[in-house]
Amino acid sequence: MATEGAARRGCGEALAVLLSRVLLRPTIPPSFYLLAASLLLTTGCRRDEVTHFRVAKPAAAPAPAMPAAAGGPMMGGAPPGMAGDVAPPPAPDGGLTWTLPKGWSEKKAGGMRYATFTPNVAGKIDGSVVVLPGPAGGELQNVNRWRNQIGLAPIDEGGLASARTVVKTKAGALSVYDFTSDGQVKSRVIAGLLEARGSTWFVKLSGDATAVATARADFLRLMESLRLE
Amino acid sequence: MNKPFSSHFWDGLASLKLTIVCLAALMVLVIGCTLAQVSLGTWGAVELYMRRFLVWWDLPGTHLSVPVFPGGALVGLVLMFNLVVAQVRRIELSWKKAGLWIVHAGLILLFVGEFITGVYQVDTRLAVEVGQTVDFVESPRENELALTDVTDPAHDDVYGVSERLLARGGQVAIPGTPVTLTVKRFFHNAQLATRRPSDPPAQATAGVGTGITVSELPPATGDDEVNRTTALIEPVAGGRSYGTWLVSNVLGAPQAFTHEGRTYKLELRPRRWYLPYSVTLKQFRHDVYAGTDIPKNFSSLVQLKDPARNEDREVLIYMNQPLRYDGKAFYQASFGKGDTLSVLQVVENPGWLLPYIACILVGLGLIVHFAIGLRRMVNRRRVAALEATT
Repeated sequence: MATEGAARRGCGEALAVLLSRVLLRPTIPPSFYLLAASLLLTTGCRRDEVTHFRVAKPAAAPAPAMPAAAGGPMMGGAPPGMAGDVAPPPAPDGGLTWTLPKGWSEKKAGGMRYATFTPNVAGKIDGSVVVLPGPAGGELQNVNRWRNQIGLAPIDEGGLASARTVVKTKAGALSVYDFTSDGQVKSRVIAGLLEARGSTWFVKLSGDATAVATARADFLRLMESLRLE
Repeated sequence: MNKPFSSHFWDGLASLKLTIVCLAALMVLVIGCTLAQVSLGTWGAVELYMRRFLVWWDLPGTHLSVPVFPGGALVGLVLMFNLVVAQVRRIELSWKKAGLWIVHAGLILLFVGEFITGVYQVDTRLAVEVGQTVDFVESPRENELALTDVTDPAHDDVYGVSERLLARGGQVAIPGTPVTLTVKRFFHNAQLATRRPSDPPAQATAGVGTGITVSELPPATGDDEVNRTTALIEPVAGGRSYGTWLVSNVLGAPQAFTHEGRTYKLELRPRRWYLPYSVTLKQFRHDVYAGTDIPKNFSSLVQLKDPARNEDREVLIYMNQPLRYDGKAFYQASFGKGDTLSVLQVVENPGWLLPYIACILVGLGLIVHFAIGLRRMVNRRRVAALEATT
């Protein structure tokens, strides 16, 4: 539950004063101006404000934001461009490489990602490699971000340790997490992160739980093959 | 003797010619707005042609804009004044004209209703997955910079700076905190990409933005397109700068800084309003006609909890049967994630009843006017028949 406060800028008042100066005529009753001024005061800059809410810490992750793209009535499927789905990669000093499983396709440096790969399985599925400078917000925050994307509640440091599996690669130790959502149709995310040369690399496979499960073995082999150029 | 200026003014404002001019201008606006939807999208065209007092045109090759036509707001306002003044000055106050008075009152109420809708209506969305509890709604079109003080273990203080404030640039003081945000750049839409070694230095000096280049894009216009709203923000607290941060609604990475033991999270996201109550999605149904994929019914069974009003009940929301609560209407609007995510359109419009009342008044006025005319005609015929017989 939340409480609200708002700090509004006074352009409604300024407009009211301006109007009264321009329009003020003795033939028009003062009540007209009172009405106009009150309308302006309450409407003029209602949306240009700094809002404040005090909210309890969420017990469960909030629902993902729906972008305008989901505006059509009753459109099936997840909306495209969901906020928080991708993160921007900086230019690393040396790139990460891997061995692509048989039948998978790959596209490097597409838009925001360092690489995108598509497993050869049926169903909604997406693989990505993203690199960020430094710790990129930390392991816990990023793991909770992945959990949030499939509607799971955040975990604490204790939960993080028990959920983590370490995969040894030539690029360093990769911390791997595997989460499956609740609900009638389940989503799943398998993601790993490793720090190398001052950057954090994220390797992620997400989509329908059945599709991800089918591609899991190949994806684990891909993660094991990670190496730095 | 010459009439005074004020008399000319009121005559002009009440004239039928002005009504015709306004109606013609509205027709031009409707045609222009319809054609503009091709390039601007529905909302962009409505904003440009209908919601503004003047329609502006950007002079090619310059940064100048000139007004070229009255906007829908101005035409509507003039039309309303025209109607009110004509009513007061021209239509006699008598029972004979009662029908016309009621019709005009209905039309005026229709204009007032549109004004209230335009100014006060807030359209938001509530996206909730099965089993989740959500206590906020979000704007489908507007973003905000959320500065969240996450220090307290029990609660967060969330400060939302509207996209409009960010677009103005300059400094924004965050009330109740020592933080002032300086908006260094604002992009309604931008392309973010990996910074290559050959690229110029990043404009951000802190956070994930140090590795990203930003190029401005024209605002998205299609209904199915999303602006990648981006800004460069410099938080300053206690006279100390915490660097320049890149924030964008397509950045998923968490970013935060700490000032005097308090940690502030920075995030650009859809504009959010928290509710004093919560909605839990218990079940979402997507029924189809047997043997086909044709949708038959969409419905969300939700649990509404409002401790302040001792409200704790189940509500079934389905097509054209919204939940009306606390001045808001929650309509079933969309779904996703394999039928586990329900999206409710949340409409808050204090004037939602006015168009209904206006239509009733206009209908009633026409009936009254017709009845009065009929009665007068019957009386005339009766008198004529009487005169013919005597």
